Amino acid sequence: MGYFKEIASGIYNLLLGLKTTAKYLPRPAVTLQYPKEKMPMFERSRGIVVLLSDPETGELNCTACMLCAKACPVAAITITQAKDPVTNKRYPKTFEVNNLICCFCGLCEEACNFDAIKLAGKYEFATSDKQSLVFDLAKLQELGRDVKYEKKRKAVARKPAAKAEPKEKTAAAVPDPEPQAPDSAAGSGDTV
Amino acid sequence: MLELSGLFQWIHAVASGLFSSLGLSEIFLDIFLMTLAGAAIIVFLALMALFLIWWERKVAAHFQDRLGPMMTGWHGWLQTIADAIKLLQKEDIVVANADRPVHFWAPVVAFASCFMVYAVIPFGKGALAADLNIGILYILAITTFTVISIVMAGWASNNKYALLGGMRSASQVISYEVPLTLSLMGAVLMAGTLSMGQFVEAQGPYIWKWYIWPQFLGFAIYLTASTAELNRTPFDLPEAEQELVAGFNIEYSGMKFAMFFLAEFLNMFTVGAVATTIFLGGWQPPFPALSFIPSWLWFLGKSLFIVFLIMWFKWTYPRVRVDHLLGFAWKVLLPLSFVNLILTAIAVQIF
Repeated sequence: MGYFKEIASGIYNLLLGLKTTAKYLPRPAVTLQYPKEKMPMFERSRGIVVLLSDPETGELNCTACMLCAKACPVAAITITQAKDPVTNKRYPKTFEVNNLICCFCGLCEEACNFDAIKLAGKYEFATSDKQSLVFDLAKLQELGRDVKYEKKRKAVARKPAAKAEPKEKTAAAVPDPEPQAPDSAAGSGDTV
Repeated sequence: MLELSGLFQWIHAVASGLFSSLGLSEIFLDIFLMTLAGAAIIVFLALMALFLIWWERKVAAHFQDRLGPMMTGWHGWLQTIADAIKLLQKEDIVVANADRPVHFWAPVVAFASCFMVYAVIPFGKGALAADLNIGILYILAITTFTVISIVMAGWASNNKYALLGGMRSASQVISYEVPLTLSLMGAVLMAGTLSMGQFVEAQGPYIWKWYIWPQFLGFAIYLTASTAELNRTPFDLPEAEQELVAGFNIEYSGMKFAMFFLAEFLNMFTVGAVATTIFLGGWQPPFPALSFIPSWLWFLGKSLFIVFLIMWFKWTYPRVRVDHLLGFAWKVLLPLSFVNLILTAIAVQIF
């Protein structure tokens, strides 16, 4: 009798399996059609390094203080400092991030006191040309244009707030024809 | 209305008028029409194989909560065509020390045999290329060619995995051939014929008269055994990816591989077509009132439903072990099919 019992239970279990898989058939897909649909990245996800600009003036927040370059454990950041002869304000003449050696640790972001550098949740930079992965200033600023960010801790934000005042003064004092072009500013400020 | 037989009569009338005006004898007309029928079946089957591969991928994807191919055409319907074009361009590699003639002929045998079956399949009302009076015997004989091609491919590839796959396939298909044949014999006793055309007529357009009800055991055994014949999961030991990489077709590339692949999917449709004809009333609608739907659509729908069942099995059941596989065939399916045959014989004798 065990023979027939086994056959009966076997058939029952086979039908049970079919029922289980049938439940999955009408369910909507859980996958995304990647190039068309993209997963929203989390706010704190560490993607590629970008340079942030002031949303109002469009100027870079970076003051070329070199803290990020010093904090970088793999020395992926190279900065050349420059000083504006008119406003006496420091700015990065060149700013290069070598994404080939960047380890996406986020220490540069932590070191920065001016909300200037951030590991935004951007991850699409595949290329067939290795050298194009060394991003320069213009590229980094372009990447950071649409990145939303909040000011850092108030205690830290106060210090640059004191420095931010002369920035406004200079913007008012000097009728700058191109206020948001760092390249032209770098071209004029070649005294350092 | 929209029946294939009307189209065939029109073609016949046009061709006979053409041939008689050219002064050619009847025999040329017959040869022409048979060639035309063969070409039509081949074109239909090639399209069907392309469709089935796409459909298998979509069914598989949706069973796993995916979407499957989506990029080429609407829901990726051009994907198989793109794959076929890619395979056509590929280099045809023959391994060193391969048995070259056998290596060449194995996919040809696989491909040709699955086309030959369709000579006796009734696609619709009046759409039957050759109504052999031994139709079922012919089908059972031809479908066994598949195992020859698999053993040929396994032997000729000079590869131990291919050989193992071929040997497994031989033992498996020969074992399952016995219950497969016996499961159809119950229906044969009831219809009293081996001809596929007469099978459809014997069942009629009434769903309660179809042989699936009295022959449900036979239908279940047929479906199980033919899944094993097709080398599909849960009986896909000859091409077990995890153990044998790809099994018998491991050393095949390009169009030869595509021929194996297409033949596999066509065999799946063959199983659906045979099950439809023998157990599900062929091209007949379930009720006479539904006969306004063309008969070939009924045939296609029923066959594709059986194909869907086989795909459903694939995404439900894990692969069985070799000894379980053979034990199941000889200890369970064979006695059950004998029981089915004897009970049917008694019932036919009484009623």
